[in-house]
Amino acid sequence: MDGSTIIFYLLAALILGSGIGAVSSRQIFRAAIYLLFSLIGIAGLFFWLQYEFIAAVQIVVYVGGIVVMIIFSIFLTQQAGEKLPAQRTDRKLFAALAAFCGLAITLLQVFQFKFIGTTAATVPPTVSNIGNQMLGLAENGYALPFEVVSILLLAAMIGCIVIALKSKPQSI
Amino acid sequence: MWSLTDITGRLDQWLNQTFSSTWVLVIEMLIAGVAVIGLFAALGLVLVLMERRVAAWIQIRLGPNRVGPFGLLQSLADTLKLLVKEGMTPSGADKFLFNFAPYIAMMVAMLLMAPIAFAKNFQLWDLNIGVLYISAISSIMVISILMAGWASNNKYSLMGAMRSGAQIVSYELSAGLSVLTIVVFSGSLNVTDIINSQADGWWIFKGHLPAWISFVIFIIAVTAETNRAPFDLAEAESELTAGFHTEYSGMKFALFFLAEYINVFIVCALGAILFLGGWMPFHIGHWEAFNHVMDYVPSSIWFFGKTFFLIFLIMWFRWTFPRLRIDQLLNLEWKYLLPISMFNILLATAIAILGWHF
Amino acid sequence: MFLIKYIKEVFGAIRSLLVGMRLTGYYFTHHKEIITEQYPDNRDTLKLADRFKGEVVMPHDEKNEHRCTGCTACELACPNGTIKVVTKFDITPEGKKKKAIDKLVYHLELCTMCNLCIVACPSDAIVMAPTFEHSVFDRSALTKILNKPDSKIMEGVE
Repeated sequence: MDGSTIIFYLLAALILGSGIGAVSSRQIFRAAIYLLFSLIGIAGLFFWLQYEFIAAVQIVVYVGGIVVMIIFSIFLTQQAGEKLPAQRTDRKLFAALAAFCGLAITLLQVFQFKFIGTTAATVPPTVSNIGNQMLGLAENGYALPFEVVSILLLAAMIGCIVIALKSKPQSI
Repeated sequence: MWSLTDITGRLDQWLNQTFSSTWVLVIEMLIAGVAVIGLFAALGLVLVLMERRVAAWIQIRLGPNRVGPFGLLQSLADTLKLLVKEGMTPSGADKFLFNFAPYIAMMVAMLLMAPIAFAKNFQLWDLNIGVLYISAISSIMVISILMAGWASNNKYSLMGAMRSGAQIVSYELSAGLSVLTIVVFSGSLNVTDIINSQADGWWIFKGHLPAWISFVIFIIAVTAETNRAPFDLAEAESELTAGFHTEYSGMKFALFFLAEYINVFIVCALGAILFLGGWMPFHIGHWEAFNHVMDYVPSSIWFFGKTFFLIFLIMWFRWTFPRLRIDQLLNLEWKYLLPISMFNILLATAIAILGWHF
Repeated sequence: MFLIKYIKEVFGAIRSLLVGMRLTGYYFTHHKEIITEQYPDNRDTLKLADRFKGEVVMPHDEKNEHRCTGCTACELACPNGTIKVVTKFDITPEGKKKKAIDKLVYHLELCTMCNLCIVACPSDAIVMAPTFEHSVFDRSALTKILNKPDSKIMEGVE
């Protein structure tokens, strides 16, 4: 067992432990913080795999964006500081069962799938390679999906501006 | 000669001869960690004293001048005071998160040190996406503030944390876009590549108009991101007592305080790397003799000189202007800085494609 | 139209930034402007501002004469009873009785330095002195009698 493996198991323990913390914590803010650590652990896993770009994007999108938004919505709701009541045992049981079934299906798929090793030369995951692939017009390029996604984002942005520009009815 | 690169290279060689490769890795990690902590402590002492002196001189005062010669030992005395103070935890606080938040602030500051090039070939981790890494990791900073504000169980702390969250999330956009301008010019996210692209002139000179605009926006946005006046709404002494760290005392407060100064150092180092060429000496066109003299100044002195110049600029900025109101702050970002930096990045892209930069 | 106003605003903002930073930059580089007084060190050379209000005193000239007629205008003007004028009757050379002060008692511990007594005084007998080292070990030391012993009213002050 070399250092790299030890780091992998530490990261896995962090992800799983904080994931369990996120679903079992009875304080909603703590649950959000556990979720944060779970996501940071996943980013750490990407760093461990030396996919630095994906790791950084994971942190920017999930940690800097989504978790902060979750925390904000927790702050803005009332009674967020109180402990939630404990769940009923039968609900817990069914939730555990559902989670187990999901895991089982995923694992089944993973183990049954025949992974075929590619013979093509590996491409280093540098930013320029990712960018060329994303915006490539050649075969296996992702220019069209990329543009579709950008139109979606543009529509969302224009929608935000329209909502923000709506003048309030004058009430005297 | 005795450059930092040389010293680290010799140390590495000696360690490799003496120990097995796994132990070399462990020892080098330990050395790097201790060096970073030492740098933190030194920076904390120097920057706090510098801030107090600059503030005093700008406000026509004398500043600390009692402890030690010219008051140089003042921040050491302050540190001693903070070390021996009792670290209180309020009874209504969420104890785990309350005690954990300052450490997150420190950890984020430590992680941010990794891709910064302190001198020629002297860097902890020459990462492929250095600049993106810095902006990604610094977005975790807001979590520690939100955590501290929430866990204190205090209305002032919570309001400070909310304000700080809104502020950091919005100013990250224009900070990111102004960084992107230089990334477009240099064509890389790697810190070493960005510095090497400035061998014949720094981007602030080569990139003319877009670089100047993004430099101004960068300075404003990072001042807001590090929660310093005139954007210090998160702590706003006169309104929120001390904002998110109202309930903190002793060493836990000191960690927040130190993290603020470390963040200032890091954003200024990033600014120096992007706009002022990092450790690259100052060169003028074809004045060979002049360039040669400049090359004799060690690269670490260039880096720290530029960084401290930017830190001074931010301090000057801080002590000149009064605090903004929260609506003015968000107006400034969403109505002025963000549209301008979006326009600016279009301009920069056009200039980079047409090759109009020098 | 909107765009022109917007750009003007941006340039105006940058100009005001530079104006502010020029002023503070001037102060930063010109240390002779520093106004800090390092008080206990420069006690001998300390010069306070002319309008500094430290305590009420009654100036006497070299013949030990003051200008107070004992009219009690200051006592009436004082909002919190700091001044107490004790009057007596002098016999003038013509044999007339004349009102004069026996003691002008001043309670420094009650005084708020509001300056109302100085304004009220019709004969400018009392003024504010720029002293400030008022600390004493006993509270009774703060009750002062402003007129010196055996002092007389100045000639010609009615």
